[in-house]
Amino acid sequence: MNRRDFIRSSALTGGGFMLSFHITAHPALVAETETETAALGDFLQISPSGEVLFQFVKHEMGQGISTSMAQIISEELCADWEKVKVVFPLADMKKYQNDRNGGHDTGGSCTIIYQWDLLRKAGATARQMLVHAAAAQWKVAVGDCYAEKHYVIHRPSSRRLSFGELANVAARQPVPTDVTLKDQKTFDLIGKPKAARLIPAMVTGALQYGLDVQVPGMLYAVIARCPVFKGKLKRFDATQAMKVKGVKKVFTTKPIAGLQTETPFMPHDIREGVVVVADSFWAAKQGREALKIEWDEGVNAHASSEDFEKLAARRAQQRTAPTGYVGDENAVADISRVRKTLRASYVFPHQLHACMEPLNCTARVTPDGCEVWMGSQAPNLIVTEIQRVFHFREEQVKVHLFPSGGGFGRRYYPDMAIEAVFIARETGTMPVKMIWTREDDHQHNLAHLFQHMEYQAALDKDNNLYAWCEKEIRTYTWGAKYANPELPAMAYNIPNVRYDFEDMIPDELVHSSAWRGVVGHGRFFSECFVDEIAAELKVDPYTFRMALLKEEKDVYVGGEHPVSGSRLRKVLSLAAEKAGWGKTLEPGQGMGVAASPYGNSYCAVVAAVTVREGKLTIDKLTVAVDCGRVINPSGADNQIVGGLVWSLTALLYGGLPIKNGRALHTNFHQNKLMRMDECPPIEVHFIESRDERPWGIGEISSPLGVPAVLNAIFAATGKRIRKIPVTKEVLS
Amino acid sequence: MAQVQLNVNGKAYVVDADPQMPLLWALRDLIGLTGTKYGCGIAQCGACTVHLDGKATRSCSVPLSAVGSKAVTTIEGLSPDGRHPLQLAWQEEDVPQCGYCQSGQIMNAAAFLKQNPSPTDEEITRAMTGNLCRCGTYQRIHKAIRRSLTVKP
Ligand code: FES
Ligand code: FES
Repeated sequence: MNRRDFIRSSALTGGGFMLSFHITAHPALVAETETETAALGDFLQISPSGEVLFQFVKHEMGQGISTSMAQIISEELCADWEKVKVVFPLADMKKYQNDRNGGHDTGGSCTIIYQWDLLRKAGATARQMLVHAAAAQWKVAVGDCYAEKHYVIHRPSSRRLSFGELANVAARQPVPTDVTLKDQKTFDLIGKPKAARLIPAMVTGALQYGLDVQVPGMLYAVIARCPVFKGKLKRFDATQAMKVKGVKKVFTTKPIAGLQTETPFMPHDIREGVVVVADSFWAAKQGREALKIEWDEGVNAHASSEDFEKLAARRAQQRTAPTGYVGDENAVADISRVRKTLRASYVFPHQLHACMEPLNCTARVTPDGCEVWMGSQAPNLIVTEIQRVFHFREEQVKVHLFPSGGGFGRRYYPDMAIEAVFIARETGTMPVKMIWTREDDHQHNLAHLFQHMEYQAALDKDNNLYAWCEKEIRTYTWGAKYANPELPAMAYNIPNVRYDFEDMIPDELVHSSAWRGVVGHGRFFSECFVDEIAAELKVDPYTFRMALLKEEKDVYVGGEHPVSGSRLRKVLSLAAEKAGWGKTLEPGQGMGVAASPYGNSYCAVVAAVTVREGKLTIDKLTVAVDCGRVINPSGADNQIVGGLVWSLTALLYGGLPIKNGRALHTNFHQNKLMRMDECPPIEVHFIESRDERPWGIGEISSPLGVPAVLNAIFAATGKRIRKIPVTKEVLS
Repeated sequence: MAQVQLNVNGKAYVVDADPQMPLLWALRDLIGLTGTKYGCGIAQCGACTVHLDGKATRSCSVPLSAVGSKAVTTIEGLSPDGRHPLQLAWQEEDVPQCGYCQSGQIMNAAAFLKQNPSPTDEEITRAMTGNLCRCGTYQRIHKAIRRSLTVKP
């Protein structure tokens, strides 16, 4: 492919220039050079005032990438950090193509991983154009000029021109085909702690989230959805609702099936319900409360989470064939080798995302097309789904993007947009803001999958861990049926590993989905089962792990990088050392450890707890992380800590209890989240592998708080807890 | 509907609303001050915290009829230039992740520090425990409140 086609420069009408990445090649060529195709679209503007606008096409939902991406680009550009602004462009499927390098798609901790090279090249290109512009203006050799902190400097004469002064000249420069990246040793922005770019707007209330958008003439809508999964609407009476002041219209939504793909990664079926449209949210909500509705509750009318759990436990006992294995698939049963077999079952129930900003979408439908306003991790999916369901052409769908008050995988799904467009279409040409109340969020939402983990471990005559068998019964297929199941336990040196999988989707009580941590947190119970094996062998659980970790392994957990046993050992030993592993503790106190690779990153957590009279106090978490090069140490620390608070909430309060098909928790008074008074100090240490590329940081810690604390509870009490949440009853 | 007078951030407003409408929705939907957030609607999360005559109040749970002539201060009115010591400390400690809960956190902390200008660590924790943060920024919120006591605006 002709690489000159990749980056284009265009002069802006107001002065200055804009750089864009374009994909101009023939489709066949794009495929051939896939890792090269860049998809940043119009990514950078430099204006005569010197202002640099970084067009942020990913989704900022608290993971901090608008800051770390801006840091990378500013580093290579040699920009003054204070003059770089982050702006949110419209969704555009053409400009921001959704290949692995870019596009809008934000999930799986992938952004930094895939954008690193691209952003560096982009920043360096702009820098080079500015340097060339200065050299042309001064009529001096380019080699004598360099960029520093928003200026280009002529070394021999110390003359300097600011980026702003150069912007118009730079706009006429040809785009260089060959750019020189900065020597990583000279980085002075990457690796420095930087406060999140959006903080000034956040702390003054100026930052607009999707829920805050004000479109002139806007109406408001809420939907009464069937409280029981798979239930339908029987009949409704809106007489009282229509009497509520401000209520404009009441009508039904149709059930809409989400796109069916081979692996239903994206199920997002829209439930049938009754919509109330009003001139204020408050009136719409009052109207909804006044509706009389009869539901046909369907197959789940009498379903409960308790029965569901029992069903999973029965399934776990059925014979299955392995989905994937290493070594001998039947090793666990090889009586000629095996001295002892250990077994345990663990349960990770459904979990809510409970994004702080409730789900919402504003939409307007006119004869010419439709417009939506929302925060989304996958705007591309919104556009394609709106096209598919409502028969618009791509160019008729306009998506205004906003940062979100939390995404955690939930905002990957486009259902809110489909609901809102459906409502707007029924409401004429008025824009309508559809809001999920917190009660909707708790009662009708997608949730972390349910997982029942059935483990077996076989010890041979010399007490070596000879075989490991992991059977997963769960409600979400994505990633399960791969020959390489990416089990965290595979990081350990176990000659025979077998993985069986059973699907509970047909029996589901809720819709399962991605949840911060991606594959399913239940898999990390293997870190508890490893502890059980160590206890059986009377070996210290830390020492046991270290002995099981070989240098490098040809297995992959959550990415395209083989697991490095030595890097995992390093985080383990650092966390243990910082936590004071092995020191004498008071009665009732205990320490537990959990560690895991995730793609090209490694994390270990040591939890210290006290259990007295059935009361659990989490005293401290000590964490060690190796995520390659750290872009923003402050943001990275914030993510690791946040991931663990997330994990501790699941540990203490998680689960989604259901009775008669209905979610029992309706709001935060029942579905509790960890609060400040329970939050332990969390201390994070980074091992920076500077030679490694940076790796995403938002999800590595979130699965590890649960196993670390459960192991600590065992150390403190001798009690093995194999299911969360850990309630008072379980402890006493 | 009724004409309701409100005094918000030192400005007088007249809104046409159901007197039962919570202050939160009048601020957001009728006046257009969207810095005050909706998180739960039942006084559980603190995202909607504003000051009523200087007292931290959950605006989701106060009907307009109960506001009367009380002075309402929202995050937009906390300081004229966004340089309240807490706002600066939030920046210096790099507190927020998604930021959605943070205007409520700051408003709660600001009212608390007015009453108790030199709190102990425990008092800070107790005062802030009513405010949820799904992103888990508690440790930094605590640090930033402490820091705000020393920053010069
Ligand atoms: S929205 Fe008012 S306390 Fe949650
Ligand atoms: S920063 Fe996201 S909820 Fe607090």
